[in-house]
Amino acid sequence: MGFFSTAKGIAEKDLKAEFRKVYEIFSILIFSVSSILICSLAWGGVLASRSEVAAAALWIILFFASVLTFTTSFTREKDRGTLGGLKTLPCSASAILFGKVLYAIVVLLLVECVLLLFSSVFFSLEFSERLLELVLVFLLGIVDLSFAGSFVSGLVMFSEGKTLLLSLLLFPICMPVLMSSVLATEKIINGLNVVDILPELRLLLAFLFGLAAIAGLTFKFVLEA
Amino acid sequence: MSCLVAAVELIEVSKRYGYLWALNSISLKVDSGELVAFLGPNGAGKTTLMKIAATHTFPSSGNVKIFEQDAFKNGGQTRKRIGFVTHESFLYDELTVEENVRFYAKLFSVKQENPHNIIEFLSLKRWYRVPVKRLSYGLRKRADIVRALVHRPDLILLDELFAGLDEETCELLVDYFRNQQPKAVLVSSHSIEWAKKLCDRGIFLDKGEIAQDTRF
Repeated sequence: MGFFSTAKGIAEKDLKAEFRKVYEIFSILIFSVSSILICSLAWGGVLASRSEVAAAALWIILFFASVLTFTTSFTREKDRGTLGGLKTLPCSASAILFGKVLYAIVVLLLVECVLLLFSSVFFSLEFSERLLELVLVFLLGIVDLSFAGSFVSGLVMFSEGKTLLLSLLLFPICMPVLMSSVLATEKIINGLNVVDILPELRLLLAFLFGLAAIAGLTFKFVLEA
Repeated sequence: MSCLVAAVELIEVSKRYGYLWALNSISLKVDSGELVAFLGPNGAGKTTLMKIAATHTFPSSGNVKIFEQDAFKNGGQTRKRIGFVTHESFLYDELTVEENVRFYAKLFSVKQENPHNIIEFLSLKRWYRVPVKRLSYGLRKRADIVRALVHRPDLILLDELFAGLDEETCELLVDYFRNQQPKAVLVSSHSIEWAKKLCDRGIFLDKGEIAQDTRF
């Protein structure tokens, strides 16, 4: 079985298991929605609708929602003993990691859809004119976050303080992704087009390739630990 | 001259966890068709040895050959020929037994996803569409065996097979695995009684070393 088919199989299994016990995915969605509501109430209509504030709020909420997703990614496999099952598979460690990345991308895209819907109401944001650019930035940002988060989740799964370590490691690693994504989102909200966000897109792509190379070379040693 | 293929060959294999040597320069050979039990007290190195044979853990030193190929050089190809059951279940609680088996069958590129024979033999038909979280320990173990054998492996590794199981289930498993030749079956167990019923050869481990290698 090929690399991508294996990864797809693992992602499908994770999604099926996740949606069977909806309370975990719902807790992530409820966290996101309540964060939007709290920001809207705390900042009031005028401040929340400012592009730099709204863009930052969207990515901060998405980042914290992603931490909730990654705490159950590899950690759950390790805690339940099913990681051994993944290690019996005739595939590379990178294919297993990529499966987890695909799963995280789907969950975070779902969170992002809910976030955009609620932010358009509570932050009074208008995305419809620059929807394609916005989708591109969010897609790239989410892919980067998913890669970084799944990799770090794999790194910390054998440690005792995995939840603490995940949060501690993920934030500095994701800093370039968050900064570029916030800047690009702010530009899009201000009506700028795709040419204006090219530097941020390049940085997001470079981060993705760099992390994929590191993960591809090292993840088999992570799984073996 | 023997025409038997060595299913597992360990050459001077050692494994160290920090300052502790879990295995200390172990050499052994298990041929296809052999049923071998690894016996010994807790901490003797049985599980570590099984994990190394299953390519789950790299040895600190030494060579491991599975069907005369380096086990770690092409781990994916090696794992296609291995079925591994441990005391921990590799099944996902939220999925049914069928969904779990299908998941593993798909990733092992198995076309025939329903291993009817094993399911019938292990009396799992009634439970096949039940979520794993609703199964008792014994049923879960049987389901895990179906999972491990779905790709028809040539080498079957069973870590602590009899632990926590009732007599009836143990009898059932002995009957099943005794009829698996020419596959090689390696079992680790605390129970000499059950190991003798299932296996032809027993290897006693103590403090990471082979204390005795005997025919039952």
